[in-house]
Amino acid sequence: MSSAFKAFLNSPVGPKTTHFWGPVSNWGIILASVADTQKPPEMISGNMTGVLCVYSALFVRFAWMVRPRNYFLMVTHSCNECVQLYQLSRWARLQGFLGKKKEPEAQE
Amino acid sequence: MAATKLQAFWNHPAGPKTIHFWAPTFKWGISIANIADFAKPPEKISYPQQVAVACTGIIWSRYSLVITPKNWNLFSVNVAMAGTGLYQLSRKIRQDYLSDEKDAAPQLEA
Repeated sequence: MSSAFKAFLNSPVGPKTTHFWGPVSNWGIILASVADTQKPPEMISGNMTGVLCVYSALFVRFAWMVRPRNYFLMVTHSCNECVQLYQLSRWARLQGFLGKKKEPEAQE
Repeated sequence: MAATKLQAFWNHPAGPKTIHFWAPTFKWGISIANIADFAKPPEKISYPQQVAVACTGIIWSRYSLVITPKNWNLFSVNVAMAGTGLYQLSRKIRQDYLSDEKDAAPQLEA
């Protein structure tokens, strides 16, 4: 087991390289957004959340195509994509974009 | 002359036909979104999010100068992120901690 750990330590995208610590700092954005899911949706910035959705989608692709391939960055941005889409849906529901299904039936 | 330079850029392995160009370029959107949010009231600013944006910007700024070759494009976009994040934090801190006494006085006078 220690040989697998040593392989990780010495990996070209491991903790001795910037390819590791950059994505670690990106987890700050994800954890901040998870904390923000517990706050009222009025606090959500539609601008920032929408931008972060596109940004993380692009960086999932970037992490896959860059050499050396950076799976850690890919997982980081996949997780961010999930939490940003959730926040975006909370913001959209508040703005009325997600519609009220029951009202049209009542009118008919 | 200009046409060949443009062609060189267009066909570059990290050029606009590739993700290596668009992903870092789109990162500017985070700073632009933050600048758009300068107009919003400080009550709507999220401390965790802006701390994360500022810290990410500072860390990536340093690392973009440590890697080989130095990536000035990455450096500049992360400097902008750190700058806008720190400014948003200063707006919220100013309102939450530094303006309480000033706000109280006008209310009494009115």
